[in-house]
Amino acid sequence: MTKDSSPHSGSPRKQDVSRRLFLQTIGISAATVATEGQAANANAALNAGGPAIIGPLPARTSLKVNGQKLDYIAEPATTLLEALREQCNITGPKEVCDRAACGGCTVLVDDRPVTSCMMLALDATGRKITTVEGIGTIDDPDPLQIAMAEFDAMQCGFCTPGVVTSAKALLATNPQPNLDEIRAALSGNLCRCGTYPNIFNAVLVASGQAPVVEPTDRGRSVSGEQA
Amino acid sequence: MTHQPRDLRAINAGQSVADHATRLDGLAKATGAARFGRDQIKKDMLWVRLIRCPWGRAKLDSLDRDAALATPGVVEVVVSGDDGDYHGDSIGYLVARNRRGLERGLRALNAKWTRLDCQTGILDDEQARGPMDAPSEAAAKAIDAADFSFEARYSTPVQTHSSLETHGLMIEPDGENSIVHASTQGTFVVADQIGRFLGKRRSKIVVDCEYVGGGFGSKFQIGKEGAAGGLAAKSSGEAVYSFCDREEEHLDTGNRPSLLCKVNVGHDADGTIRGARFETFGGTGVSRRGGGARVPSGRFEFGTLDARNHRNVQFNAGGPRAMRAPGCPQGAFVEELLIDEIAHRCGLDPLGLRRRLDDSDRRQRMYDVAADLIGWENRTDTGSQSGTMRTGYGIGTCDWGKGRAPAKIEVVVHPDGHLEVRTGTQDIGTGQRTAMGALVAARIGVPLANISVAIGDSRLPAGPASGGSVCTPSTAPAAMAAADLARERILEGVAERDKLDATKLTIDDGVIMEGGRKVVRWEDACRRLSEPVSVTGEFDGRASAYWGEGSSEGVQAARVEVDCETGQVFVREVIAIQSCGLPLVRKTAESQIMGGVIQGTSYALFEEQVLDPTTGAVLNANLESYKILGSEDCPKIIPVLWRDDQTGVRALGEPPVVPTAAAIANAVFNAIGRPVRDLPLRPDRVLAALAEPMAERVVAVAPRTTPPENRA
Repeated sequence: MTKDSSPHSGSPRKQDVSRRLFLQTIGISAATVATEGQAANANAALNAGGPAIIGPLPARTSLKVNGQKLDYIAEPATTLLEALREQCNITGPKEVCDRAACGGCTVLVDDRPVTSCMMLALDATGRKITTVEGIGTIDDPDPLQIAMAEFDAMQCGFCTPGVVTSAKALLATNPQPNLDEIRAALSGNLCRCGTYPNIFNAVLVASGQAPVVEPTDRGRSVSGEQA
Repeated sequence: MTHQPRDLRAINAGQSVADHATRLDGLAKATGAARFGRDQIKKDMLWVRLIRCPWGRAKLDSLDRDAALATPGVVEVVVSGDDGDYHGDSIGYLVARNRRGLERGLRALNAKWTRLDCQTGILDDEQARGPMDAPSEAAAKAIDAADFSFEARYSTPVQTHSSLETHGLMIEPDGENSIVHASTQGTFVVADQIGRFLGKRRSKIVVDCEYVGGGFGSKFQIGKEGAAGGLAAKSSGEAVYSFCDREEEHLDTGNRPSLLCKVNVGHDADGTIRGARFETFGGTGVSRRGGGARVPSGRFEFGTLDARNHRNVQFNAGGPRAMRAPGCPQGAFVEELLIDEIAHRCGLDPLGLRRRLDDSDRRQRMYDVAADLIGWENRTDTGSQSGTMRTGYGIGTCDWGKGRAPAKIEVVVHPDGHLEVRTGTQDIGTGQRTAMGALVAARIGVPLANISVAIGDSRLPAGPASGGSVCTPSTAPAAMAAADLARERILEGVAERDKLDATKLTIDDGVIMEGGRKVVRWEDACRRLSEPVSVTGEFDGRASAYWGEGSSEGVQAARVEVDCETGQVFVREVIAIQSCGLPLVRKTAESQIMGGVIQGTSYALFEEQVLDPTTGAVLNANLESYKILGSEDCPKIIPVLWRDDQTGVRALGEPPVVPTAAAIANAVFNAIGRPVRDLPLRPDRVLAALAEPMAERVVAVAPRTTPPENRA
């Protein structure tokens, strides 16, 4: 463990954070028998002349989500996803893999897509967080959300909030993406039910483009009578 | 919106009862408003996590229960055993006030295990590894009488369901009752099973599963996580949240079992199959059941058969559960690749050979359309290509039974004209909610906007679990009956008041008509009701006018490209033709078919649970290492809803997943001239196949071209 990997390596007084104390703090935060006394001592020591220390015990903090300031109390080890779902009652972002392999927990942090399971809530403090709920609601949906429903771009719907959020981020930077760009932008969002082709069409149409029309000219008189 | 969805897949226009109906909960899902079981989070609830064996087989030496209980937040530690028979096997559970408490408690518990020798696959079994047994006397005679005999063995991997919402439930007390928010494909199964653990009678339990994040066959039972949740709720009296994490989901919530199949066939020079022996070994982990494969399927003529030689091989891994068409994709892979290999040996077009071996009239017509849509005329002879990128075409088929179960649907007509469709059965993503709403709306003759559907609640009328693709076929007759009752009630009221003959009245787009004359709007007719009218349609599981005629059959055609330098397979296009009797909602039906193709493609190319042969540990128990198909891998898919004169609603959930891997394997064989007989079609396997000599031909044929009578 080098000093640079201490949590306050950006601080001008990082050299004051002794390796022993740092390890002790980490040990406590991961400990099975942490006591309030030990933690308080560590905090006091670290606080002496250093930047504000948060934790290791649960601390009051806040997030700016969908235009609202939400206060909550949680340990510093809390991920943004946990804070949203378990502290702020915002359950659009889903916990699926908890390691950024599936995109189910995607939210926008300062308008950029982030897998919220891989970001500490503390690192999102003060930043603009947008979840699927902030993109639109049932009563006032975003055109992308309307297109998702119209094109049946979901089955069970568990991946859908992450898909909508990733696609929204794509459209913010690339208002008319082509099919390859859509595929690439959504490559981090897994859908087990298998609705990708409909998702592509929803994104195309939401950005004012034509959906992929399957070639049907070869398929006249498919089966029996056609209505 | 500039483009309407009906511009898409025009091939399916007019094929369903409700072509333009949109998934009723689509916006709820797209806005995050849909609340799944896993979203039922309360700040003061208890969290449950099972204590699991980390190795294929191990004995618990020690654990520090006191240290765990002393950990802040931990409230209960229950240990009920010390043997682990597979990675993920559970010996107890831990209850804590929050997620961190759970994690720290498990670390403090410090379970120490002694790892024991274990078995990790079908090939640990001597008989499975060994040679094939001799065929029965009759089959041996038929095989000997044929011009040629051919032996091969095929294998398929363990595939996990990988539902994105993990297994589990949240239980909250509600006075004397318990509300159980479950991720399940059986509302009423949960209601029946959880009481034993909760210590409550059935009448005190309410199950809510309005939104379910996938199941694919793995969510029929409450499982160990559900049982532990129930016990923790009973002992604490508090709200309890017991869901698997992603690793547990891969380890211990079921799978599609692995298969080894040995085949011995006798065939003539013209491709006629005289006789065959099939031996199958199903890898069932610690389970004794569930490893069967449907091979041969009965769709093709195999002459004198010696089949049903099946044995389940047990080893140290989690057991199987039903997975979307259990036993069928693996069986179809073996059978369809075998047919293509025989066709190649005889110098025949495999589509032409299928036409001769398949006696389904409907599939015969489907072959024509599939060949037309995929461009079968562009297919070159198997093994005739050179160069790095080689293109191949392949065919696969399916059929499905006509399973059904009792179901009830209630329709409530409100005085404002609004119709409430009520069913306790669940919508795991199939579109059950939309299908019921659209069917009732169409049957009565009112716009879908008049309809709302209450679903996934054990207080609502009973219906089947989502399994065997029986759910919609069983609820549809009940919905038709309920819709007809509701319609009659309103029309009788109108007839009585206006002195008309009720049997002469019709309803068209929300307007009640007599002949061509408008009588009254639906809303205005309903306004005369003094209170809501409730009617219930019931399907008793027997054939009736509402059950009608129909069957589920399908043909899929795949076009692939194989990179012969890297061994990578790219699936470019899949034509998926599927009959399902009377399709109800075009968009959701198309989605079901595409979903089957995508899961089948994923099974063909990527999915494979890997066990360490020494320790028995599952090496890829998460989604970054257990690869499922993503957006960049997705082929172009044309789902074709096949409807001839069928009137009854039939299975659609499972059949479309059956032919895909088979069609892809055949296309790869066509491209590279060697069969890859093991799924998934990994690059290393493709390269190994390419290092082999070209597949043998036993019948001399003229160079190129397939005889015209065998062409599509």
